[in-house]
Amino acid sequence: MTTTAQSRRVRLPGWLSMRALIIFVVALVLLYLAPTVLGLGDYLHNIAGLTFMFMAAGLAWNWLGGYVGQISFGHAAMFGTGGFVAARLTISSGLPFWATWLIGGVVAGLYALLWGHPTLRLRGPYFSIATIGVGEATRLVATYWTDFTGGSSGLSLPIGNGPTKFQMYWYGLYLLAAVVVISYWLRRSRIGLGLLAIKEDVEAASDVGVNPTFYQDVVLFLSGTVVGVCGGFYASYQAFIDPLDMFSFERSISFVLIGVIGGIGTILGPAMGAVVYIVIQEFLLASYPQLYLGLYGLLLIFVILFEPLGLSGLLMRVGRRFGIRPSPSAAAGGMSSAAAVPDQPTASVGAGSTDTKDGPR
Amino acid sequence: MGQVLALAISAVLLAGFYASMAYGLGLIYGVLRVVNLAHGGMIMASAYLSWVLFTRFNIDPYLAIPIVMVVFFVVGVAMYKGLVRFLPRGAAGGVQSLLLLFGVWLVIRNIAYLLFTGDDQAVRTSYSTASISIFGNSYSLNRVLVFVISLVAVAVLQLWLSRTYTGKAVRAVTENSGSSTLVGIDVERVYALTFGVGTALAGLAGVLASTLFAFNPSFGSGELLKSFVIIVLGGLGSVVGIAVGALVLSFAEIFAIYVVPSYLTAAVGFVLLVVVLVVRPSGLFGAKVLR
Repeated sequence: MTTTAQSRRVRLPGWLSMRALIIFVVALVLLYLAPTVLGLGDYLHNIAGLTFMFMAAGLAWNWLGGYVGQISFGHAAMFGTGGFVAARLTISSGLPFWATWLIGGVVAGLYALLWGHPTLRLRGPYFSIATIGVGEATRLVATYWTDFTGGSSGLSLPIGNGPTKFQMYWYGLYLLAAVVVISYWLRRSRIGLGLLAIKEDVEAASDVGVNPTFYQDVVLFLSGTVVGVCGGFYASYQAFIDPLDMFSFERSISFVLIGVIGGIGTILGPAMGAVVYIVIQEFLLASYPQLYLGLYGLLLIFVILFEPLGLSGLLMRVGRRFGIRPSPSAAAGGMSSAAAVPDQPTASVGAGSTDTKDGPR
Repeated sequence: MGQVLALAISAVLLAGFYASMAYGLGLIYGVLRVVNLAHGGMIMASAYLSWVLFTRFNIDPYLAIPIVMVVFFVVGVAMYKGLVRFLPRGAAGGVQSLLLLFGVWLVIRNIAYLLFTGDDQAVRTSYSTASISIFGNSYSLNRVLVFVISLVAVAVLQLWLSRTYTGKAVRAVTENSGSSTLVGIDVERVYALTFGVGTALAGLAGVLASTLFAFNPSFGSGELLKSFVIIVLGGLGSVVGIAVGALVLSFAEIFAIYVVPSYLTAAVGFVLLVVVLVVRPSGLFGAKVLR
């Protein structure tokens, strides 16, 4: 990992550039001002706030799913934990709402470490199935632990001492901005490179001094914390939460979907994925709730079969049509980047050397 | 002491079912290096097929086993030819096949909700309440039958793998797919066949489950997890491994009632998994499952 500054810059994906930073700041300011200028209707305004939260949660899921390649089907466990800790604190203490979110997030992050530290030794499908177990076990405990979660009747939050639903738009934006910054930082730092190394080959990574246990623990803690904060946000937003919703399997797969639809391993991807998710959720499924699972299942199948990098992959394809060649490592976080960018030499740390070694037999 | 013996026999009976349930998942993983996340969904679908055959056509679930297994064999082959074939295998394709098969599971669940609603169903035959006495304790006839059928299924499968030409081809591909091609084995055909057989085993498990448990469209996630725990515990490729894995899990679940409230027994499998991973990361037999 002792690369010179020069070679490090070459290896960093294009979207970590100065230009990307400027775009980020401008987008943030525009979104901050948008409601006052445009005057969105109440409904759209509130939905936008919720979309920011899902973007943040999708990005946090992606740290684990995209950067390390460990797909979690159990992130609802942290979402619910964060939500209920925050809700309990709001009810029983005079703490400001943002403090309850933060505490909820940290508790959720610690909970993630508790189950994650042993299970992260597993790779790929094995880790994923273990997370299904985590999700189910947590849901069971939460549903029966009525003293904490209120059981199937849930918890109502006191109205009046938190932000209004209208203000949640901006809090959602702050949350998203913080998570985007962490996403960039994670990718830029030593940790980011270490994660890519782990994703490629755990044994090789540990041979060159990357401690897989430590790196993955750090990421899982961060991911769990952010998803926990999102849970707290959601509790404040809805002013009512119940464990059947917060800890549900559907909640877990929503994070997976956001990541996969948008493009695993990228930063723009989960953000786009969250928009698609909310649009489908609010405008399509509101009228056909019985098609919920099937629609998302089909979406997953189509994305995997035709565009494994999701919307990001689609964008890259369109870009190539117009002669914009993404840097080879722009897709480094993808599921297998060599497949997604077939005409690119795999020059980056993260690009798919595994494909040549272990590809289609 | 009597109670312990009674529980132990229950655990053994349950282990038989668990073994047949886990074998399909293990077989597909062993040969294709793909974890069939749709396994639980297939078990659920097959339980419904068994229920439909019984309530509409009055076919006894045990007699329906051949029909269901043939149907699911065809489904499995079709799934391989239509979807799984296009995915990269091994470490590189792990995430893709995982998500794709997860999508298939969601679709199956949704179809089941549309067709059968979310209500619990159960197959109630005339002998559902009949019981058999073993060492002075009585056990439901269904549980004993399920145990016997599972044993037969696992034994037949083992004979097929070790005695027939096709079975040997499957094992050869498990060992080394590249060399198998060299000696003239049609690897693609073996893959399709394996996916079919593995899915047929999920079908068998579903029929057996339909006689034991009530089920609804979200049935199967627990079964997937348990199958997985068994494979991790026992390793692939040997009936002994699967049997031991199934026994460990069923004993842990049954005797957990001494320690934890009953609603938590569903979490026992997961806790067991974590404990094994901490104590023996390579599985009970140092299996090659966990790279």
